[in-house]
Parts: sequence; structure tokens; C-alpha cells
Amino acid sequence: MIFSSLTFLFAYLPLTLAVYFLAPLRWRNLVLLLVSLFFYGWGEPVYIVIMFASILIDYIHGLLVEKYRENDKKARWFVAQSVIFNLLLLGFFKYWDFLAANLSLLPGVQIPQFGIPLPIGISFFTFQTMSYTIDVYRRDAPVQRNIVDFGAFVTMFPQLIAGPIVKYKTVAEDLNHRVNTTEDFALGARRFCVGLAKKVLLANSIGALWDAQLASQSVGELTVIGGWLGLFAFGFQIYFDFSGYSDMAIGLGQIFGFRFNENFDYPYLSASVTEFWRRWHMSLTSWFREYLYIPLGGNRGGTVKTLRNILIVWFCTGFWHGASWNFILWGLYFAGWLILEKYVLRGVLEKTPAWVKHFYTIIVVFVGWGIFAMEDLSVCGAYLANCFGGAPLWSALDGYRLRSYAVTFLALILASTTLGKTVWYRLPEKLRNVLTPVLMALSLVVCTAYLVDGSYNPFLYFRF
Amino acid sequence: MTKAYSRFLTAFFCVFLGGLLVWHVLLPDREKSETENRTLAQAPEFSWTALVDGSYTKKVETYFADQFPLRDSWTGLKARAEQLIGKSEFNGVYLCGDTLISKVETPAEGMVNKNLSYVDRLAGKTDANVVLGLIPSAAEVWKEKLPAGAESWDQTELLAQSSVDFQSTLSAHADEPIFYRTDHHWTTLGAFYGANALLEVLGKETLKENNFAPEAASDNFNGTLYSQSGIHWLEPDTMEFWVAEQGLTVTSWRTGMEEPASLYDRTYLEKKDKYSSFLGGNQPLCVIKNENVTDGSKLLLVRDSYSDALAPFLAQRFSEVHLLDLRYYRAPVSAYAAENGIGDIAVVYSVQNFISDVNLVLLTQ
Repeated sequence: MIFSSLTFLFAYLPLTLAVYFLAPLRWRNLVLLLVSLFFYGWGEPVYIVIMFASILIDYIHGLLVEKYRENDKKARWFVAQSVIFNLLLLGFFKYWDFLAANLSLLPGVQIPQFGIPLPIGISFFTFQTMSYTIDVYRRDAPVQRNIVDFGAFVTMFPQLIAGPIVKYKTVAEDLNHRVNTTEDFALGARRFCVGLAKKVLLANSIGALWDAQLASQSVGELTVIGGWLGLFAFGFQIYFDFSGYSDMAIGLGQIFGFRFNENFDYPYLSASVTEFWRRWHMSLTSWFREYLYIPLGGNRGGTVKTLRNILIVWFCTGFWHGASWNFILWGLYFAGWLILEKYVLRGVLEKTPAWVKHFYTIIVVFVGWGIFAMEDLSVCGAYLANCFGGAPLWSALDGYRLRSYAVTFLALILASTTLGKTVWYRLPEKLRNVLTPVLMALSLVVCTAYLVDGSYNPFLYFRF
Repeated sequence: MTKAYSRFLTAFFCVFLGGLLVWHVLLPDREKSETENRTLAQAPEFSWTALVDGSYTKKVETYFADQFPLRDSWTGLKARAEQLIGKSEFNGVYLCGDTLISKVETPAEGMVNKNLSYVDRLAGKTDANVVLGLIPSAAEVWKEKLPAGAESWDQTELLAQSSVDFQSTLSAHADEPIFYRTDHHWTTLGAFYGANALLEVLGKETLKENNFAPEAASDNFNGTLYSQSGIHWLEPDTMEFWVAEQGLTVTSWRTGMEEPASLYDRTYLEKKDKYSSFLGGNQPLCVIKNENVTDGSKLLLVRDSYSDALAPFLAQRFSEVHLLDLRYYRAPVSAYAAENGIGDIAVVYSVQNFISDVNLVLLTQ
């Protein structure tokens, strides 16, 4: 099930809220576990089994790590087991076919491919459960002795299928001692409405333009302007889709009494690629920093080791987004820019005017989206070549599309800045109190209209 | 945030979501949507197999959306919102002032040449004279009405293959209402011009406009484009019947059996799908006999729905006009022509159907 669907909004969510808030406090984790399993099973009935296996194995490993805490060797071994289990799970479902296909290219190697559909959200929940055993081992989080509470953490539907990646230690306290207040509910509902509008009205809307540009490319009619229009369309689509989804997740979490960390911080305002990655999908970058980059030695082992670590982390970051070469290339592309900024450009950027830095960052990032969006590297290469002059400058069709999407683009650009937020908090509180329900109603009503019409409403993370 | 205000926002959110759920549950399910002119999904039956393979939950989603309260108002609201932000394309339909024009998608590769070759092969299989008539869509004839730069597949090259030049005929009258504003079909006026173009090619005397007394059949016709686009705020179309029914006998084979029919089925005028009042809409086979034409000439129209409005005019110059729809009629066309002593076969299709129809292969049987 996805949040931006009629069945979620007008059947699953009201019923879930009713059951959850009618249940006595001590039953609420059980309710959360059950409704989350239903949520997951709705789209993937068979894969509920994976959920059960994941809960059981990580739960037991947490207990084992705690039990053998005095025997570090054994405790480490159990951490390793848990990590290996999760990576195998991810490896089998997500990467097997990719590895098999590529290894089979070697002479004499023949590995069968299974073509199994990817369980939705597997990249998110395996990372979350991995963090649990590691945190228990590092004493960053207490062990969870109640399997229902642990199951509620693993399956928690607000963040189950598209993040943010919630570390166990972030919600450990809330899991057993949360307080549900109406203020949290109201704030959460408000946040949810913002996210819904971002996803349905902004992301879906501009996503259709990207698809149109890609289609133009395939019939050889893409122009330079059209190419960039497409890159911007996709870059805005993925940002508003993803951050909209995160807003909905954070809002729903708050409704149920959980505080998740923020996942996006106006990434398109960044003045360098390094800054972009501090503001984009923060739960993923911080996960890799904490559980991969720093354990590898971070930047404390000299230049060669630092370079190695950066490359490893960004290879993994890219590969995490999908089992395909373009994602690996996308990760390494950013590794390249980050290394360049760290060792070469730092001094230069310091002396560069702000607008140039913003321009440079936007170009690097949106070209990156081109690599991200086009799995077929030959298509990707041809598309980017068009963008950089390998095509006529523009066509009448571009003019038509630009006119059709001008208002949408304007909304996207404004929504990418802090302008809305600044203006909002300048308004007198009374006015804000009147406007809040009006805007929430507007978001719900207009989004419902778009969803009923059966408009374009893709789920972009089926490869994650 | 004060407690009272939090409670208000919380209640507001819950009432909106829960209220629509309750409404949805209480609202009786509809069989079909008149506005969208299609049957709506009904509550799916539960089975474990359907649940495991995922088809059950998908059906529930479709059912939930199809039976959503105020469905037509929501789709209308979306179209309004899109218009507000400057869009001129609505689900594949361009809004051009007071007129809706359907966008023609690029056909699948090879499709056009395949269908053209099937018509050629029919000509080789029958003694009858075979002509091809391709009716340009509004997007071609009214090209200059489209939003500047808007794309629609270029039909010129294909239209050059048509032995009946509907394109020039219609273009010459482009400033007249030859297509409906809310429907993809040609109007009775458009069909009249089309009929003369076809009659000329078949060597028949053309028709005079002043020999007909147009009857206003409906002034409240909201067509297929009205449904497809969600644009519900345009003035409805008017629909006219030109050809009088006297002297014409219509026979239909709807269920494989011969049954009497009529040139106009006026019961459709009370429904949404008013265009189907011409000959009573889609059917495998239909024959119009004109007792005033005594030369025994017989025309076979291999057709799509555009011919429903066209055939009454053609019946003025032929003893018999046979309308055969390949989507429903499965026997060989050449055999049908031979058995019925057909002199002329006209394969008449709108471009939009010709480039996407997969049944034309039946012509080669």
C-alpha cells in the first residue's frame, strides 16, 4: 500500500487510527505490529514471511549479543551473524539477478537468474534491523526483550517502505514510553498533509514531463532545452516525491507518538556537492557514515585510506539505490565530485561568489539525476550528449511543454526554498491558526481529486 | 498550540478521512458511470489464491476508486485545477477554446503499413471495386486550433494513401462544425461532406445540402472527450439527423439473428451515449435498403463508428448499404461480398482507429 492512494487515505488510515487510539496503552505496540503487517501484506501478501523471519532473527540476535556481552568475541560473532543475515536477505532478493547476469558474461560461468520480484522496502528495513544489533553491541541502545515491541519497530508502517531509515536508538525510548498527545496528532496530521501535497500535486505532476522528455529522446526528437527540461523535471520529481514521502512518514510517526529524524533539509539550496549530501536523504548518509565510513577508519588513516573509504561508501550508496550499473556509476560520480571538492576545489569555492557555487551544485546534481534516472547507460549517454549540445537547441514542442508546466515549475522552485516557511512564520499567529485547517483541507481535497481521477501516481522506490 | 486548537485540527483531519470512508460504505455501488460511459468495478470476491497472487488487493483498489463518493465531481475538480495552472492537455485531450480535440498518439511501429497491406490484399481477393477512405481526425483538420507546439501524430503521410480524399473535403469546410466539440466523431454535417467525397470516388451523383431538412435530435450531447478529459464545463453539443427514415429499411444482425432496426434509435437520445442513436451503435452487421434506388447497386462498408453517421447519406445512392464491423464480424469479407453480390467495398476508418485496430487482418481471409 502507498500513502498516496485512496485505499490508504480513506480506509486503512481512519480504521488504523480508530483501532490504535481505542486500544489501551499496553496493547498499542501489538496493534501497531498487526496493522503494519497488514499494510505490508496488502501489496506483498507472500513476503510477510520475510517480515516474520527478519523480526525473529534480529530479535534473537539482540538477546544473544546482550547475553554474551562479557565475552566480546562471541558478542561480535552474533553481531556479524545478524549483519550477514540481513545482507544475505538483501543480496538474494535485490542483487542476485544482477550479479548472476554480470558474472555469466565471463567465459565458462553460468549462474541462473530467478527473476523474483523485489520485496518492497527491503533496503530500508534490513538497514534498520542491522543497526539494531550493532547499537545493542555498542551500548548505544538497550536490548529489546519483548518480541512484540521489537516487531512493531521493524514493521512500523509509516517508515516501512520508503524510509526515512529509523535507527533503533532513535525510537527505543518512544517504543516503550511514548505519550500520545493531541498536539502531536495535530502537528503530525498537518505534516502529513504537506507531504501528501508534495507527492501528489508537485512530484506526480512534474514526473509526467520527465516521462514525456524521455519519450522524445527515444524517438530522436530531444533538444538541448528539452533535455534540461527533462533533467529538472526528474530532479524535482524525485525530491518532492521522496521528501513528500518522508514528510508523510514523519507526520504519521508523530501521530502515533514517535519522533523520527528529518530526512531532507532543502537540498537544492546547497552551495556545494558536499553540502548537498548533508541535506539530501540524511537518514541514509548518516547510516553509511555511522556503520560503514567510520568503522572503515573514516578520514583518520591518511589520504590513501580516506580516498579508499570514500569510494567504498559511495559505491555502496549508489548500489543501495538499485541493482544496476547506472546506480553504481551515480554513486561513484558523486564520490568523484566529493573528492574533488575535498582536495582541490575547497580553496577555489571559498573565493567563488555564492550564485556561481549554487549554479555549479545544481548542474552537478541534476546531471547526476540523469545518470540515476536512466538505467540503460547507452540511453543515458545519448540523453546527456543531447543536453550538452548534441541536438538542436529547442523546438516548438518545448515551448508548449514549458508553457504547460511554467506554473508547476515556479511552484517547485519556490517550494525548494525556505521562502514558504519564512513567510509562514512572519504571519500573525491568529492568521496562521485560521489558515492551517484551510490549507490542510485544500491539500486533502485537491489531492483526493487527483487520486480519484487515477492520474499518474508512480511508486519510485520499487528498486530500492 | 493550545489544547482546544489541537483537538480541532485532530477532529478535522479524522472527520475528513473517516467521513468519506463512512460515506463510501453507505453509498450504494453503481453499475456504470454515465459520465464516463463505462461499467464500474464491483466489490471483488475474496479467495485465498487471489490474495496470495496479489490480484485481490489490486481489485479492491480499483473498486474503491471506481465507487468513490462524488466521483464525477472529483474528476471535474481535477480538470479545473489543471486548467488553473495552465495545462491545456487533459488525459490525452486538448482544450482548445470551446472545443476538445483528441491527441493522436504515435502508432506502434509497423502497424500502419501492415493495415494498409491488408486492404491491398482484400482488393486482390475480390472482384468488387475496393476503395480505402481514411477520415482525418479533428487534430489534423483543426490543426491550427491546437495549442501552439502541442504534439499530435502527423497524419498527412497516411492520408495520402487514402483513395477517398476526406482530408481536402473536410479541410475546405474547416470553419464549419464538422466535428463535435465534446466528442471525437464527425457531426452529421461532417459526414455529409464525407459522403459526397466517397460518392464521387464511387462514380455516384453527389448529394445536395438543400435536399435535406435537418432535424435537431439533441442539444444536450456530452461526448467521449467530455468524459475522457474531465472537462465538464463546456456547452454541450447539438446533434442533428438529416436523412429522413422514409423508404429506408434497416436490418441488424446483433446476435447473429436477423432483426428489424431503424436508422435512428431515439432511446439513446435519453442517455449519455447519444452518438449511438445512429443505427443503434456498434453491431457486427447492418444492412440499409433503399426502395427508391432500383438499380440494385450494393455497397459494403467495412467500418468503424464514424460510418454510423455516414451510412444514411450513402443509402441515398445505393439500393443496399451493408455495414460490416471487423471487431465483431468474424467471417471472411471477400466471401461476404461474393455471396451478396456487392459491387463496391469501401474500407472507411478514422485515422485514430486505423492506426491502432488489430482486426484489419481479417480482411485477408
